[in-house]
Amino acid sequence: MAPRENSHEPSGTPVPVEIGFATLAQLRVGVKAFVDKDGEKRKAEILMIQTRRGEPKFYVHYEEFNKRLDEWVNAERIDLTREVEWPAPEKPDKKKSSSAKNDKASKADQRNLKRSRSKLDRELSIASETSSNNVPGKAARPTKASGKENQELLVTTEITDGTTPKPEDEEMDLVDVQDAAAAAKAVPDQAYSREDEIEKLRTSGSMTQNQTEIARVRNIEKIQMGRHEIEPWYFSPYPIDFVDVDMVYICEFCLGYYGDVTQFERHRSKCTLLHPPGNEIYRDDYVSFFEIDGRRQRTWCRNLCLLSKLFLDHKTLYYDVDPFLFYCMCTRDEHGCHLVGYFSKEKESAEGYNVACILTLPQYQRKGFGKLLIDFSYLLSKREGKLGSPEKPLSDLGLLGYRAYWQEIIVDLLMDGRAEANIEDLGAQSAMTTNDVLHTLQNLNMLRYSKNGHVVVLTNAVMETRDRQKAKEKIKGKRSIDPERLQWKPPVFSAASRTWNW
Amino acid sequence: MTQRTTGQRFRQRKLSTKQNLQIIHEKDLEPLGDDDATRHIPKVETGVEKGEEIEHHLQAVISAAQAASQGGGKIAQLYIPTPEAVASKLQYEDLYPRRFTQPSTYIRFSSTVEDTVGCPYCMTSEDAAWLKAYNQKRGKAPHCSEDEFEYVINFFEQTTQEKQPYAEVDTAPVLAYEELESAFDETIPESARRFAKDIYVHWKAERERNLNKPLMPTLKFERNLDTDDADPYVCFRRREVRMQRKTRGRDAQVTEKLKKLRKELEEARFIMAQVKRREVMIREQLALDKTIFQQRREITETKRRLSIKGDDEELLINQKPAPKPKPRVDTSALQRGIPGMGPKPQVTRPDGRLVDSDLVYLDDQLAKKSEAIDGFIEENLMKHQKWNVGWVDATWRPITPPMEQPAAKSDFRRVFTESQLPTPPASVSSEEAGDAMMIERAKQPEPRRSTRIRFGSPPADQPYKDQSRYRRRTGRGGRVMIDRRGVKRPRLDDEPIDERVADRWKYAGDSSEDEQIYPVDWTDNLHIRYRIMIERQGEKQHAQHQAAAAAAAAQNRRAIESHQRSASGHLLPPTNRGQ
Repeated sequence: MAPRENSHEPSGTPVPVEIGFATLAQLRVGVKAFVDKDGEKRKAEILMIQTRRGEPKFYVHYEEFNKRLDEWVNAERIDLTREVEWPAPEKPDKKKSSSAKNDKASKADQRNLKRSRSKLDRELSIASETSSNNVPGKAARPTKASGKENQELLVTTEITDGTTPKPEDEEMDLVDVQDAAAAAKAVPDQAYSREDEIEKLRTSGSMTQNQTEIARVRNIEKIQMGRHEIEPWYFSPYPIDFVDVDMVYICEFCLGYYGDVTQFERHRSKCTLLHPPGNEIYRDDYVSFFEIDGRRQRTWCRNLCLLSKLFLDHKTLYYDVDPFLFYCMCTRDEHGCHLVGYFSKEKESAEGYNVACILTLPQYQRKGFGKLLIDFSYLLSKREGKLGSPEKPLSDLGLLGYRAYWQEIIVDLLMDGRAEANIEDLGAQSAMTTNDVLHTLQNLNMLRYSKNGHVVVLTNAVMETRDRQKAKEKIKGKRSIDPERLQWKPPVFSAASRTWNW
Repeated sequence: MTQRTTGQRFRQRKLSTKQNLQIIHEKDLEPLGDDDATRHIPKVETGVEKGEEIEHHLQAVISAAQAASQGGGKIAQLYIPTPEAVASKLQYEDLYPRRFTQPSTYIRFSSTVEDTVGCPYCMTSEDAAWLKAYNQKRGKAPHCSEDEFEYVINFFEQTTQEKQPYAEVDTAPVLAYEELESAFDETIPESARRFAKDIYVHWKAERERNLNKPLMPTLKFERNLDTDDADPYVCFRRREVRMQRKTRGRDAQVTEKLKKLRKELEEARFIMAQVKRREVMIREQLALDKTIFQQRREITETKRRLSIKGDDEELLINQKPAPKPKPRVDTSALQRGIPGMGPKPQVTRPDGRLVDSDLVYLDDQLAKKSEAIDGFIEENLMKHQKWNVGWVDATWRPITPPMEQPAAKSDFRRVFTESQLPTPPASVSSEEAGDAMMIERAKQPEPRRSTRIRFGSPPADQPYKDQSRYRRRTGRGGRVMIDRRGVKRPRLDDEPIDERVADRWKYAGDSSEDEQIYPVDWTDNLHIRYRIMIERQGEKQHAQHQAAAAAAAAQNRRAIESHQRSASGHLLPPTNRGQ
């Protein structure tokens, strides 16, 4: 994780990187080497080494590529004619785990700064409360970090001073590390962000910021679901037994998981479920939506979360599914209702999110289902009379999906013949937060300053895009959510259910 | 919060999200200051993690879109590459049969996965191979079906889970067959039990191979171990912090209520069960009685046929004389008449007595008792009289004086004084006020209901207050006494009340001791005016609400009553002494 950290650090790494040539036998976890990727040499970090049938195999993460493209490569694909980067050696001051942790705290905090302001406010206030527990003088201890970070660590520090060695042990268990240096580097990461994260998880949705919490190596080789075989993108905490299995079979209806094809076939002969186990709240001639309560359908929702974790990097399964509702989109045929995608939603979101996690299953991606899901999530918000926004962080695909949806909605509203537009009204009409409207307008370069003041510009590009879209819709037929067909009232949860864990 | 941030961000440029902005097309936009404007536009956060924002493919797509929005012309659609999803080789049609029919209404469904997947254990290929070999070995003996096999294994698994919840932690040995057999319950069908012993061998082997861990892969849940927190495989933890909050009083109350409700429901259930038991027993008893009766009849028939003469009583009466009469339920049930039984057994009991003679009624008993008491008194009275014959009883009267009749009103006579009004005031007391109202309602068929609206404080003989009455009576020893009523204490305007004078008037009134009476001059101008006012008000209101419902009238009355309460001087004496 730490090397990734370095590559993301906007301020650059102050640590000098040790560079040199390596032999195959010298390669170890944490080394960054150039690896052949689709005919192109890319720098990649080795995350795991295994020997299969006498051949060493390397699990690599390509720099500046999404984790979903991480893969096992043979030794031939590693270019040893070029120099490799060695992982940073253990620093002498690393023994002082407290200072290391402080350093990490500041790092994590810096990451926090990039998040939405509301979160930042809250976390800063938490941090400042705890800062009084800080041992004086510790903050002044020099670290490898720059002076700016030092200043920050006055505000954010660890609460626990006595238990510092513990996380280190945990880390050793967690990652299969051959390299002590790499481990030491990763330690502080773990220590700070767990506290931060647990606090966050307890009070908030189901997204995580913390990379270290998640195992970095994909654990499932392949899944079989419905008519498809799918390569997972990320780690998911399915039973650990599945690590050795070539294919995990997932029942399309109950989402149960089986490592053995006979087992799966036996299960299919017994399973009577034909649709998500909840109430259908929307139906048109194309899709149906089912509403599932995490508390009532714990097994199904857990299965769904395990499945979606395979494709969502930032999703966390740390806590149970009880406080969420799951809105599942299905297509129907004589076999049953096939899960296409879903989004989860907190029963009560402190930060006004209307979506926690959202996913179109890979086998159905790039077919316009994502837009339907997003549209439906905003339709629910409209019914509730609230403005909504998806929980952050968004994934790359999530960002593009939302941007496309927002663009379409906003441009349509602006082109309905009105002469003036008001950002808050646009938000109210589309159940979008003001910030998201602003984001969209600015991103499309539509908010400009004319001589009289601010104006909204319908740019040629935006209008062309919209026209192209409309032409396409004419040919292919427009898929959209019809609000008339939604039979739904915002569910109400009593104070008691809140007290007793939803 | 979002508003605040945006507000901060744009304050210097004075962009308000509430303000209407003009919409213009790009072609109408004057090319002035464009450069400046773009420089001023701050980048809004994408919401993607910074570390990922720089990713190659995302950047490619974003910059392509950026270029397009800046008017860079048409740009090829770019996608973020994702790992592939390919068609599966499995036979979909076999695995997922076509059995879904869509209902016309929206589906409503609440069964859980556990309800719908059947037996949770599913055979592996090893299991299938073993089962096949096993069935072959059995030859013609009944074969074990796959379902039965799964039921048995599932039962073993679940029993183990119950008995050795920490099997995988403390490496306990696999449970012995005897221990499992003793736990057999309804989750394992009868037909499967005969294979259990054989399957156990296979199951044990599998289990041992798996280090006594459950055969079906399970998720890792928290086990309160230290390593839990760091283990990425541990998932779906309880949000225990929420649970730790102190139980509020309200919650405790609710719990108590639920406990009580449960207890009461259980009691009710218990009672019902007992009632059922009783009724069943009664039915059995009746059946027995009937059998006895029928058998006796048969005996009599037989005796008659065989012309055996003898004591029928022996046969017809229970040999053991019943020490207690049969419970009443029995007789009442008999009385109700049981179908198939002749009229005879309904009237007589097996011993020949009439059923009714058996019954003891409370009324009869009471009557008998009171008769006895009356008789006793009568008898003693007669005795007493006989004993007193020839004697004059001079003691009787003095010892028990006759009950004095309550002073009859007629004994009193009115005395007119100058302090009296020529006509009695209409609304002095509440009772009279009530009467005054009743006059108006007199046409109604309903009789006076003044008692209903009377309030407690004024005594029933209130009218005596304003009319002085006197009575003469002769006391013991020939004393002549004059009783007076309604006599007011003379007004003592300025001087303080003499103790002796006060004493003289102490017992002048009829009122009870605790009732405090304020001396009031009813002829006083203030009072007269006040009473007139009330009268008029009442009339006015009545005129208004003539047609109003009884409820409204009652309210009026109440209003007037409250006026009079003060007017009557009991609660609020008008103080006008210094007039």
